[in-house]
Amino acid sequence: MSEPAVEVKNLTKVFSLGLRKEYVVAVDNLSFEVKAGEVYGLIGPNGSGKSTTMKVVLGLMAASKGSAKVFGLDSGDIRARNEIGFLPENPYFYKHLSGAETLRFYGKLCGLKGAALKDRIGELLKLVDLEGAANRRLAGYSKGMLQRIGLAQSLIQNPRLVILDEPTAGVDPVGSRQIRDLIMRLRDEGYTVFLCSHLLEQVQEVCDRVGIIFKGRMRREGTLDELIEIENQTSMTIENATPELIAGIHELIRSSKGARLIEEGHSRTSLEHLFIQIAERNREGES
Amino acid sequence: MSETPTTPAESTPRTTPRAAGKSVPIFSIGRVHTIASSTVTQLVRMKTFYFLLAFALVVVAVGNFNIPATPAKELSMIKKVAFGTMDIFAWLFAIVATALLIPKDVEDRTLYTILAKPVRRIEYLLGKLGGVLAVIAISLVAMYAICAAVIFSRESLFVSAEYQSMVASGQYTGAEIEEQLSLIRSQGLRAELGIAVLASFFKAAVVAVVTIFLSTFASSSLFTIIVSVLLFLIGHAHHMASSFWLDESGNSVLVQMLVKVVKVLIPNYQLFSFSEGIVQGEAVVAALVWQMGGLTSGYLIVFLLLSLLVFVDKEF
Repeated sequence: MSEPAVEVKNLTKVFSLGLRKEYVVAVDNLSFEVKAGEVYGLIGPNGSGKSTTMKVVLGLMAASKGSAKVFGLDSGDIRARNEIGFLPENPYFYKHLSGAETLRFYGKLCGLKGAALKDRIGELLKLVDLEGAANRRLAGYSKGMLQRIGLAQSLIQNPRLVILDEPTAGVDPVGSRQIRDLIMRLRDEGYTVFLCSHLLEQVQEVCDRVGIIFKGRMRREGTLDELIEIENQTSMTIENATPELIAGIHELIRSSKGARLIEEGHSRTSLEHLFIQIAERNREGES
Repeated sequence: MSETPTTPAESTPRTTPRAAGKSVPIFSIGRVHTIASSTVTQLVRMKTFYFLLAFALVVVAVGNFNIPATPAKELSMIKKVAFGTMDIFAWLFAIVATALLIPKDVEDRTLYTILAKPVRRIEYLLGKLGGVLAVIAISLVAMYAICAAVIFSRESLFVSAEYQSMVASGQYTGAEIEEQLSLIRSQGLRAELGIAVLASFFKAAVVAVVTIFLSTFASSSLFTIIVSVLLFLIGHAHHMASSFWLDESGNSVLVQMLVKVVKVLIPNYQLFSFSEGIVQGEAVVAALVWQMGGLTSGYLIVFLLLSLLVFVDKEF
């Protein structure tokens, strides 16, 4: 079995509140693993300990108890940082730099230089669809563009693990979908993605496995199917069903002992999908 | 660029992650240089060099002010005001520019993305300090150029006017005229003035590193600026405090100990005032310059180590 990308064991993080000798337990004996190549979502309400866990994994904070490892390396080890690409929530990069300069800055910090760095910058700007804004200063970027340049900087050194903290926070549905598509693409290309979010629909769409954290403790963990299936209920979606067929199905249900029809109706799209469809149609009309 | 709802990068090349981890050098001068260059760019694009315009205005105004004195005294006065203003601008800039850097990175969370890369905290601190020192050096060179231009133009004007006036009067010998012109030139532009600029740089460098140290634990830029200015003022009162508090036998042991602690902890900025003598035309003692260079390096090392002690385990 391959080495886990992230291995958190019995992690506890306690903060002291000033000089009052009061303590807050932000993370309480938390254990989980992110397997190499999967998209893992850590979900929970605000203040549940998601960001603290992430900071310990990134080496920005030390654990009070327990450990966090990245590809077998202690998270405090600087070599672990070479394996990680990180996009913080609402990233504020240097506004005086352009998109390309931002990538150059982070690339140089990772030891890239010359033609290799130039090629990588071009590749990533294309990946996040920001080639046209490469020379514009970040002060003029929209929220969605900032998230995408943030994602590009997180990938600059080709890390094996990408950590995303609320990657679509504050981004409109169109920008949000672009980021989701990028996450799916990263998974397809072999990256491990560990994301924290409280946007459940987003997590449901992109994650292979999910952990639900509340008050610093892991409450449930598993694949999405395991977590959301209702074992004694079955749903069917039928296209072009005739009234006779529907009547026949109703008759079958009535005649089966213990079976009961709970819900019936037309399938609905989500408001988000509807919004994107309309936006796409309008843009096509304009062009 | 517009944000289209298309899937980005449908035709982009694959960007496959590396198969294995890469080693990270213990210390990278390249990373320090990257952070220092970015700091210079940041300070330049924050339009901090605009203060040079204010400086130029002060110096040009002083240079054109008609003081009722001999040409030599007038030149001496111009130099005194210009170099004094340069010194003030340098240390004030060192405090304000440095105090903005680290707290702003923490507040904007830019620091997260930097420290999430394989960057050691000492490299970050050295980079920030290096960037500030580079900007201070550039500013001092620019201010010196402005001063030199004003002093040289006034010196040329005075020499020419004095020569014409002495020749026209017909009362002076060639030797007397040369002696008078030499007196004016001695208060004009001389190579030694460069050492006075170096002294201002030494002082500003110490001020910058003390401010970096404060900003590693300060909660805001304002706090850092206020405390740095206070320490700067206390640092100028070293000699006065020692002679008053330590030499007076009536002071308690506690007070004497407190003064000794302050003497150790706060740099003695008065030591850097040797530039005032140079500006007034005193001879430059090379040994003193080397000594001050050594002292500056000592302060830089000690305060960087103290900053690292605070910053290395700091949680963000």
